Amino acid sequence: MSKYMLLLYHDPAGFTKMSPEEMQKATEKYMEWRKRSFVVDSGRLAGDTGRVIRSQNGQSRATDGPYSATKEVFGGYYTIEAAGYDDAVKLSMDHPHLAHGGTIEVRHVFGT
Amino acid sequence: MNTDSLLDHLFRHQSGRIIAHLTRLLGPQHLETAEEAVQEAMLRALQTWPDQGAPQNAPAWLFRVAHNAAIDAVRRDKTGGQKSAEFVEELNRSALNIPGDPDFEGQLRDSELRLVFMCCHPGIPRDSRVVLALKIAGGFNVREIARAFLAADEAIAQKLVRARRQIREQNLTLDVPDGAELPERLDTVLEVIYFMFNEGYGAHEGEDLIRTDLCFEALRLGDLIASSSISSPKVDALMALMALQAARLAARTDAAGDLVLFEEQDRSRWDQRLIVLGFHHFERSIAGTGISPYHPQAAIAAAHARGAKWLEILDLYEQLYAMSPSPVVALNRAVAIAKVNGPADALAAIESLKLPGYYLYLAVRGHLLLELGSRAEAAACFTAALECRCSEPERRFLQRKIEECDQGAGVASGFPLSTT
Repeated sequence: MSKYMLLLYHDPAGFTKMSPEEMQKATEKYMEWRKRSFVVDSGRLAGDTGRVIRSQNGQSRATDGPYSATKEVFGGYYTIEAAGYDDAVKLSMDHPHLAHGGTIEVRHVFGT
Repeated sequence: MNTDSLLDHLFRHQSGRIIAHLTRLLGPQHLETAEEAVQEAMLRALQTWPDQGAPQNAPAWLFRVAHNAAIDAVRRDKTGGQKSAEFVEELNRSALNIPGDPDFEGQLRDSELRLVFMCCHPGIPRDSRVVLALKIAGGFNVREIARAFLAADEAIAQKLVRARRQIREQNLTLDVPDGAELPERLDTVLEVIYFMFNEGYGAHEGEDLIRTDLCFEALRLGDLIASSSISSPKVDALMALMALQAARLAARTDAAGDLVLFEEQDRSRWDQRLIVLGFHHFERSIAGTGISPYHPQAAIAAAHARGAKWLEILDLYEQLYAMSPSPVVALNRAVAIAKVNGPADALAAIESLKLPGYYLYLAVRGHLLLELGSRAEAAACFTAALECRCSEPERRFLQRKIEECDQGAGVASGFPLSTT
């Protein structure tokens, strides 16, 4: 089995408009998905702007984020086990993130 | 230790309680700060529980995190100006309380009660009260409220804006009204709860489950009052009629989602806990003196629940009509008249009623005409009823009645009524 990373992107405004009931249902769905057998690891990223580090003229410098100017924010990740890209995609198609308007990027981890 | 599943509507119910508590601390002028803090806490739950599991005491977690979010907001916005440092101190102290702790529960319920009372302040526009209550005490958002009332999001949002403006301009507080104001305010609160329940129970259109949620929210708010020191027999009467009607919600539609007439309902599908609750409150409602418009309705609901004879029910409708002579009550009374004296008398009783666009009126008329053998006229009524606003199960029911008229089938029993 190989490892694949799922990178979750979303527009933060979408989640803030949800009602308590909707947020509970979403939380329950995410909790359920996390428990699936092929999930190795996962994490959510803080919604702050974070930091961006770049090298300029040979010097590393850190500035306030975000990394990109797009509306979508990189909010979380999973490492899953799958037999190939098709398998990884199939396993991820019903992730609740998608139902809430988010995007999932699927990438094979080298050497796995 | 983590738990696997959350109680139904946990977030929604906790939302109101925590908003009430924070609003009591900060004052209604900062209601929005309280609301945002709760929203933030739920968002944080969505972000962290999937990876870390739900906490053992979810309400306490939400309570604490909402407090932290409020503290951050008060510091950042200098909420309350000079008072902001004081607010932070009070919030820090308050965060140490544990929801679910018996000593603290009473305080939380008290705050929630005061919040509901504030929503029904005479200074809040009449049609904004139920919207405000559903939003801040009920934990529903604008879209959900709009769906429940079959209104546009914008219309509901406007009602909220108006309510919020009055809270600010009139400097409303969470103080319990005193003197003569208290019973008046209680009456308004009961009206709002009753309205909420009927909107949910009526199910005029579509098959949206949000309407059932309204019924249960009305029951929840009623219970808050009924178990407080300001309860009275009329509160029990309202609780009785709501509980006894809500008990039949599951039995109103069958497996196919079709409407089941009252007489044909499977009584074993009536929610027994709600029946028991209903009778408990009914007993309490007749304990003291004083009668309210809710009393006859509760008595009718109780009579139906114990399978009383229609003669007794007709008598109760006469009492109800004497107190509340509305066309809708007259229509419901006519159903009882038909059962006792036959369709001709009932038809005569509703002849002069003015209920334009009310599908039930046409459906009842159609049924009575069908019983009297006037099939063509009956079909015309059922067809006209289809033009009115009604739910999908009601629509299907009317179609079946039209077919019955056309086929010349035997007269069917039962009314498509509020007796469902």
